[in-house]
Amino acid sequence: MSEIKKNLQMRDIMGLAITELAAEHEDVILVDADLHTSTRMTPFKERFPDRFIQAGIAEQNQFGIAAGLASVGFTPFPATFACFVARKAIDQFAYSICFPQLNVKVPGSYAGVPTSSSGPSHNSFEDMVFMRAIPNLKVADPGDEADLRAVIKTAYETPGPIYFRGIRSALPDIFNEGHTFKWGKGELLREGSDVTLFGTGMMTNNCIKAADMLLKDGIYAEVVHLGSVKPIDEALIVESVQRTGCAVAAENGSVLGGFGSAVAEVLGEHYPVPIKRIGVQDQWIQGGPEEDLMTFYKMQPVDIALAARASMDMKKK
Amino acid sequence: MQLTQEKYNELEEMAYQIRRLSLEMITCGKWGHPGGSFSMAEILSVLYFNDLRVDPKNPDWPERDRLVYSKAHASPALYAALALKGFFPIDDIYCYCQFGGLDGHTDMNRTKGLETSGGSLGMGLSIAVGMALGLRKKEISRARAYCIIGDGESTSGNIWEAAMSAGHYHLDNLITILDYNRLMAKGYVWEEMGIEPIREKWEAFGWDVIDVDGHDINKVADAVYQAKWVMPRGKPIILIAHTVKGKGLEETEFNPKWHAEHPSPQLADKMLRELSHRYGKPELGYSRLNQ
Repeated sequence: MSEIKKNLQMRDIMGLAITELAAEHEDVILVDADLHTSTRMTPFKERFPDRFIQAGIAEQNQFGIAAGLASVGFTPFPATFACFVARKAIDQFAYSICFPQLNVKVPGSYAGVPTSSSGPSHNSFEDMVFMRAIPNLKVADPGDEADLRAVIKTAYETPGPIYFRGIRSALPDIFNEGHTFKWGKGELLREGSDVTLFGTGMMTNNCIKAADMLLKDGIYAEVVHLGSVKPIDEALIVESVQRTGCAVAAENGSVLGGFGSAVAEVLGEHYPVPIKRIGVQDQWIQGGPEEDLMTFYKMQPVDIALAARASMDMKKK
Repeated sequence: MQLTQEKYNELEEMAYQIRRLSLEMITCGKWGHPGGSFSMAEILSVLYFNDLRVDPKNPDWPERDRLVYSKAHASPALYAALALKGFFPIDDIYCYCQFGGLDGHTDMNRTKGLETSGGSLGMGLSIAVGMALGLRKKEISRARAYCIIGDGESTSGNIWEAAMSAGHYHLDNLITILDYNRLMAKGYVWEEMGIEPIREKWEAFGWDVIDVDGHDINKVADAVYQAKWVMPRGKPIILIAHTVKGKGLEETEFNPKWHAEHPSPQLADKMLRELSHRYGKPELGYSRLNQ
């Protein structure tokens, strides 16, 4: 807990890293929808007021403006909450930006369950589900500060549309400072032999904690972080379950069509083994303290550990 | 501003060819929107052959004007203008709506001369706002963003989000043209979802407004000239072009049936002969009648 407290919130890192990117590259431009104090893009606004565009509380306009800016040579970051990208601007994002493959980088803030007490209107359960399905779009859910910074750097260097997300709150460190991010490349964080815990975003940290719990009971869980959700590291997924024979996939969002589905698709088509999915189970996400929410939606390390045991039981049958 | 007779003749010929090629491609492709294509003929003729700074030999020229064609279902008229301008061979129009050919709606990565992909209505004006802001920030001061929207499309909320932001940012490098042909897909605009008072709406959003007869070449050219050079700076400008949907043929004019309808080759042949008569041209029917 103390380690998390000293870390910046992920939203702060997102704002700072994009601001630093703008300092290096004059084509980086931010398009806001009246949320910059929440998405922590205020440092960008203060440092580069000429490259900060307010679109109003009008996300359709925000994404259309981003498309226009990209087509004249800028690299726009239309920044808003993940739920608004998914629910309010999806046609503009999909058709005006992804279809013509415009160079737009979309940071989805306040991703998933931990979004303070805002409640269902502001909590995104579906952003990864929608984004996964859009052709031409690459999608990432980084696991800590170093991973988020690496994703932002890689997103800028990768031509075309990118969606990446970050939670509001802080996360403990997983990766070192020199960490790099590659599309379609996962990270084997811990080797094991009994079950693989596939995590993405904030849930990778809970997978690590679950692996610690399981170890106390003599269960060796492998932990794999898949920050690149699309493309996903099919080879690593298959390679890992070849060792362990069963899996759990944990995500900060709906299990219907999201990250867990992506892992299950790979397993189903290439190496069928039992899999259990941890995440939001076809529910709207209520507001409340983060720990209470994570417990209510059964996304705590203990829930992952229980799912690992259930997955192992299926393997035995 | 008065066009020379020579220029007028050229623009009238292009308007004729835009209608003619639109009908050829809709007939051949067995799909398309003749009504909204015909209402655009004079406007596109004036823009592409009198005003837009675009170069078919250098379509990515950074200092070019950008035309966002938001009412992309009327793509035949735009494809005709682009082909006539030299962005691609005129024969390519016969691939309209064929697999791998010109799309029913627009795909900027597949057709030279297109600045955007369109089809989902209401989205183009925000893109044009982004272009105008970007051109201003890049200090490409000679280039303008143009946007063509429909009146049915003007019932979309995204149009008004964009309108508000263009007014807010005083985008005087943005010229929008509203094709006010008074028909939408399923009926008359005033019956389906009224947009009046339309002039006052745009003025209230911070725009200067010019009403113009969208089929009078001299008046359209003058309105664009006024928008470009005469009107006071500091505001985006919209031309409310009063048009007739399906303009050019007795059968199609102001006839909701021809919003999205393709004629048989025999009917197209008859229509094209009528069109040539109306323009005082040698009688010419459908070029692929016997294919």
